[in-house]
Amino acid sequence: MVGPVVEVTDLRKEYPPDTMAVDGVSFSIEEGTVFSILGPNGAGKTTTVEILEGLRTPTSGSVSILGTDTSKGYHQVRKRVGVLPQNFEPFDLLSPFEAVGYWADLFEMKMDRKDIESALELVGLGERMRVMSKTLSGGEKRKLGIALSMVNSPELLFLDEPTTGLDPRARRDLWRLIEETKKRGATVVLTTHYLDEAEKLADDVAIMHRGKIIAQGSPDELVSRHGKKTSIVLVGAGPEGFRELSRRGITAVERNGDVIVTVDDSSELRHMFAKLSSIEVNYREMYSRRETLEDVFLSLIGARMDDGVLQE
Amino acid sequence: MNRLLSDTLSFGRQYLRTKLGPFFSFIFPVLLIVLFGAVFSTSDSGGLSLPIQNLDEGEYSAALMNMLNQTGYFEISMVEGNGDIADYVNDNSLPLALRIPSDFSANITASLPATVTLCGDTSRSTFQTAQGILDAVMNQMNYNLTGASPIVSFEVEFAGSEQFTAYDFLLPGFVGLTVMISTMYFMTSICAEHRSRGYFKLLATTTLKKSEWLTSKFLSNSAMLLGSLFATFAVAMTAFDLKAILTPLSLVLVVAGAFMFTSLGMLLGVVVKDPESGIAISNIIGFPMMFLSGSFWDLDASPAYIQMISKAMPLTYLNEGLRDTMVYGNEVGALTNLMVVVVLGFVFFLLASRSMSWKER
Repeated sequence: MVGPVVEVTDLRKEYPPDTMAVDGVSFSIEEGTVFSILGPNGAGKTTTVEILEGLRTPTSGSVSILGTDTSKGYHQVRKRVGVLPQNFEPFDLLSPFEAVGYWADLFEMKMDRKDIESALELVGLGERMRVMSKTLSGGEKRKLGIALSMVNSPELLFLDEPTTGLDPRARRDLWRLIEETKKRGATVVLTTHYLDEAEKLADDVAIMHRGKIIAQGSPDELVSRHGKKTSIVLVGAGPEGFRELSRRGITAVERNGDVIVTVDDSSELRHMFAKLSSIEVNYREMYSRRETLEDVFLSLIGARMDDGVLQE
Repeated sequence: MNRLLSDTLSFGRQYLRTKLGPFFSFIFPVLLIVLFGAVFSTSDSGGLSLPIQNLDEGEYSAALMNMLNQTGYFEISMVEGNGDIADYVNDNSLPLALRIPSDFSANITASLPATVTLCGDTSRSTFQTAQGILDAVMNQMNYNLTGASPIVSFEVEFAGSEQFTAYDFLLPGFVGLTVMISTMYFMTSICAEHRSRGYFKLLATTTLKKSEWLTSKFLSNSAMLLGSLFATFAVAMTAFDLKAILTPLSLVLVVAGAFMFTSLGMLLGVVVKDPESGIAISNIIGFPMMFLSGSFWDLDASPAYIQMISKAMPLTYLNEGLRDTMVYGNEVGALTNLMVVVVLGFVFFLLASRSMSWKER
């Protein structure tokens, strides 16, 4: 198609009396790309995505999906869009096999028994396709949601936290599925709180905070634009190491028991290594690394991670 | 498969897999029929229990007891001794007992007033029934004693084509009640579940239209209720001497009732947020309807204000329409009630489809 698949201009969503969930957001998504929206809880990600999915009405602004202004009727493009909602719950009293068949009918897609079985095997539910959905585990339910979101072979696929509850192998399988979806020319909008997932899959990332997009670009662009050049990590240095470095005037942060010192200029790296080696601090190992999307994300929203939990 | 048909079949499949759905559609009406059929069956009726304390040894007290016995309404037993009859009734938690005084025969012989005492709880229906029968027996005894015969009287002429029983009268009410419970209660809780579990949002991501979803629920419910009606009738005809008949108009009324109450359930579902509030709101609406719409008894005997309230209950029109066609053979009356049911159904359907939103505001 000519032009962006999704075009959002000055989108706002206000919840009276005084909550601005989405505050003047604008972006566009090109065909055949994976676009990821990142942000802490309450940043406005899900509200934005649900407006794009046609499940919420914006207060103002315009949204164009597959070349159609959604304010004039989403039904024109509904058949070309697939959605996995954030808190997907399957119909308890239908089996995955019945659910996929039912969903295909709702999209007026012709799927015979073999098509349905393939769709379920693709997401790893081949062995569990005949049980009642209420007996599925959290991860299996998620897989069923993914299968349903893809029954209509959508041109635009919204995946809202698709890997939540999946084991590492299932996560990798889904990543492969997303890459294959992209290869066949579909566009994917991915909301996730796994930053490694966004870094691996997304062509374009928008970081949202307090209803606004505070940074946007490819993962590499974001790291080079907002990331400090290099970090030195003192593994297991803990609070004592952090205090010792602070006492000596070295700026550092403590994260998950490690102490991280950022170096703005790579020419200072050797000097800083030497300085840190001379200080009496207990640590298991010391290494340097380039900053990741996670570091950029945390520094932009002014937060830190504690045991994998975002702390603002 | 067509969207509407697929949604209808999928809903029906899930409905039949719930525990409550098949119970209220199939087991509940059959249970009602069997229980009420047993209660109203007259073949082995034992009659009213009437303990009598006869303190008189004369011929007239014996004649009175004989006449009471011959009515066939009483099962007479004798109270021994001459203690206070009111104490006897209270001590034995009886609804009533009759006391014939020691001077009963002597007073009649002397042409003096002879009075028996019917003692009991006057508010109980058994007491009132016994009082009416006793009154008739006393009148007859007075005629016999004076050698007179009644000049003004009435006779009963049956106007229907068959001799119906209370059971035949109740059956259409049970059918109406089943239609209401299986659709309105169920739809309200379905809407609540769809909202709380995000099913409405999920459906909004498909090409299924809201009106199609509403229609498919009506189609599923209608099919299940027709099945339930046939099952109920089969049990009633097999187990009891049923004279009410299943007419084509009664089938139309069941479908129209399913439409009306499915739509009303959806309308109530618009305001409920979770299954608990769904149960509460359907009970607030449904409970008065169960008792004030003529499902269990004839409303003609109720106070005027109750009859007025019953006219505001949608179930009244369904019950009356079913009774008109199944019992009285009054097709005009049934059609009039059918029209009311259909119009109310459309009003509820339009209100539900306009006010129900699958999107978040």
